[in-house]
Amino acid sequence: MNTKSTCLPTFERFRAVNKAFPKTQEISEIKQRGEKVFGWLCTYVPEEIIHAAGILPVRITGYPREMELEDANAYLYINNCSFSRSCFQMGISGEYDYLDGVVAGSTCDGARRLFDLWRHYIDIPYSHILTVPRKFTSRAHSLYYDQVKLFKSSLEQYLETHIDDAKLLNSIQVYNEARGKLKKLYELRKADKTPISGSETMEVLNASFRMTKESFNKHLDILLDELSRSREKHHGEARLMVMGSVMNNPEFIKSIEDLGGLVVTDELCTSTRYWSDPVVVDGVEPLEAISKRYLNNYPCARMVPSEERFDRIKKMIREYRVDGVISQIIRYCVPYAHDLPLITQRLQEIGIPILSLDVEYGTSGSGQVRTRVQAFLEMLEARKR
Amino acid sequence: MSSAGTSTKIETFIQTANLLSRMNRSQPGARESRTLYYRMLADYYNNIHRARQEGKLIAAHTVFFPTEVLYAMDIVPMHMETTTWLSAFLLKEQSELLAKGSELGLAPEICSPHRGVAGMFALQEIPKPDVILWSNLICDNTAKSGELLMELTGSPGYFLDNPFQDSPGELDYLIGELKEMVTFLEEVSGKKMNWEKLSEIIERTNKEIDLYREINELRKAVPSPMNISGYLELISADYLFPGQVQAIEYLTKLRDELKSSILNKEGAVTNERFRLMNLFIPPLHLLGSLVNIFDEQGAVSVAEPMFTRWSDGKLDPSKPLRSVAQKSFLIPERRSMYGPLKGPAIPDIVESAEQYQVDGAIYWAFMGCRHTCAAIKVIKEALNEIDVPMLTIDCDIIDPTVNSEDEVREQLMQFFEMLEDR
Ligand code: SF4
Ligand code: SF4
Repeated sequence: MNTKSTCLPTFERFRAVNKAFPKTQEISEIKQRGEKVFGWLCTYVPEEIIHAAGILPVRITGYPREMELEDANAYLYINNCSFSRSCFQMGISGEYDYLDGVVAGSTCDGARRLFDLWRHYIDIPYSHILTVPRKFTSRAHSLYYDQVKLFKSSLEQYLETHIDDAKLLNSIQVYNEARGKLKKLYELRKADKTPISGSETMEVLNASFRMTKESFNKHLDILLDELSRSREKHHGEARLMVMGSVMNNPEFIKSIEDLGGLVVTDELCTSTRYWSDPVVVDGVEPLEAISKRYLNNYPCARMVPSEERFDRIKKMIREYRVDGVISQIIRYCVPYAHDLPLITQRLQEIGIPILSLDVEYGTSGSGQVRTRVQAFLEMLEARKR
Repeated sequence: MSSAGTSTKIETFIQTANLLSRMNRSQPGARESRTLYYRMLADYYNNIHRARQEGKLIAAHTVFFPTEVLYAMDIVPMHMETTTWLSAFLLKEQSELLAKGSELGLAPEICSPHRGVAGMFALQEIPKPDVILWSNLICDNTAKSGELLMELTGSPGYFLDNPFQDSPGELDYLIGELKEMVTFLEEVSGKKMNWEKLSEIIERTNKEIDLYREINELRKAVPSPMNISGYLELISADYLFPGQVQAIEYLTKLRDELKSSILNKEGAVTNERFRLMNLFIPPLHLLGSLVNIFDEQGAVSVAEPMFTRWSDGKLDPSKPLRSVAQKSFLIPERRSMYGPLKGPAIPDIVESAEQYQVDGAIYWAFMGCRHTCAAIKVIKEALNEIDVPMLTIDCDIIDPTVNSEDEVREQLMQFFEMLEDR
């Protein structure tokens, strides 16, 4: 890919937020005003409810690089995914010491135990975990809706406040706006030459978890405008999709793009699965609309049947004209590891090659990974000839 | 599929179990309950072996699956993890199964019994099941295993979504899941659920759980009447024959034997020196050696709260399906491994250590089992607070390449020395 990075002022602003995270200026100001900040784990936690309670929700992520995670290894044991260990390491080192609460869902073994140990070892005034069913049936929806109601009332009790429908509707609107704008950003990547690279897109996404959504929306609007006028164009020898375990390291995407590929889309909980579906308030209560969206959203590997996820992946492959898929699975990320043989077969059926990488969270994609990506790109290139 | 191959494997299980049963019977002073245990194993695989001839369906299922429903519908259950364990334990075929699992693309971090199950189906080593049933009780591995198995076997399947926490709404959700599963099984088998039979099974399950509780009480005795292999046999009764006469017969016999041992002040080992708590499961391929080491050192396993401590509660045979759901909230494994760690898991372990006068605990840290290992530090600290030291041994339940007998022996010997010095 042509690797010159985009020099747009708004993009730099997002990058600065990420660089400062977890202690950003905006977060410090919020804390100074005596307002609250909550950390959330996993995309099955309905952020709108936290937002409607007047709290800033930030996504708990780990270090932006591969690290020795000695403390976390001792707490979570070495066989939990390095995402949960990296997050925990930051938590136990006090890097998230400003958090007033942590909210999680019963999504996978790694995430639920991260939540358990966070609550056990790290002083946190409020914590809550939602039971998240693994199905999309109406029965599952009503259970999850109950869980969302329970979460809302637990929060109301803790804050001694009432989160009314007007507040929820406002939060839905703010979050849907962010989803819509991120969708627009992704639309730009469908072009042959894109105004933004895959690694830069990841910077934008990372910032979306770490800023107030109002401020993020404002800046993303400007960025979209800047991008529409930008003469900078990115193109690559192969159009790639990245999928698999949680990953939010732009360096990893950059290392792929430095080798000549262009990451045009992805199937990650830190990106597409985060913004893809809006909350649809269509004749239902706002809370129900929220709960519907979160359970029906672009599914994670934890959901059954997996075909729903596989179909969405195949649809994106068509829409973004993907030549090859890079699957990156964090060691001990069992949900994604189990799906690998199944998705590999489905991609083979539609003639899409897949490179499967075992990685650790935060990897920058150097060394062995680099060699394998290079060989994959060469293979894709040869197929075109 | 090579039907000759599949019947050979199941037949080997049956022959080995029968042989062990006979050998046990001929040993002077051997427990009759152990003979019954081996007979239970033989019966279980005989049912699978005869299923086709008898026109019955075979349902392959994951661990902690409510097979009471299957028994009531006259469908033959095939416990997938146990079947892999047995392949490993009795036939020493684990390397072959695991190699096949990785050939399918399953990463080495996936729990080995599950890699083995996939390998076993891919190798067509066991009868092709008519249905695959799986559930998220108890981990991501069980939750994620079913779809690949459906593809490998070409069998239809049902995923039973077991809720994470314990609330009335979640119990109702599970009941709904069970109802849907019954309908699915009725469609596949063409047979209706026999509700009366299910009620009878629930009635017997109550009896079975009471026997488990009674046995747990008896095991508090000093000297301990049961050794380390005893607990693995103990838990199998419910895994294979929940609410069935075989389980009742075995547990009753065991209870009576324990009572008489206690009365006669007979311990499981000649000179009881260390009363141990075993947490999680030791490598099954090393079980024979562990029995020897424990015997030599005067060590006994007196409590295994993760697998033997049942919750309080009684099932209502007049509401059989609700009872099946409720049972999955009573089983020890759910208390200790599923749901938030803030629940009863840690207090249970601490209380057990006190009630059973434990000298030390051994945590078998099975590297494929992530959620259980994540609790090791919390457990260790909680036990240390009541002055019970805990040894952690990294291992694999079935893969013999992970730790050798010598390594485990050395770790145990050091631990025993430390306990001795205290
Ligand atoms: S989905 Fe995978 S990477 Fe994410 S928390 Fe769970 S185990 Fe870890
Ligand atoms: S050993 Fe652990 S990971 Fe494997 S099936 Fe059992 S609970 Fe799951």
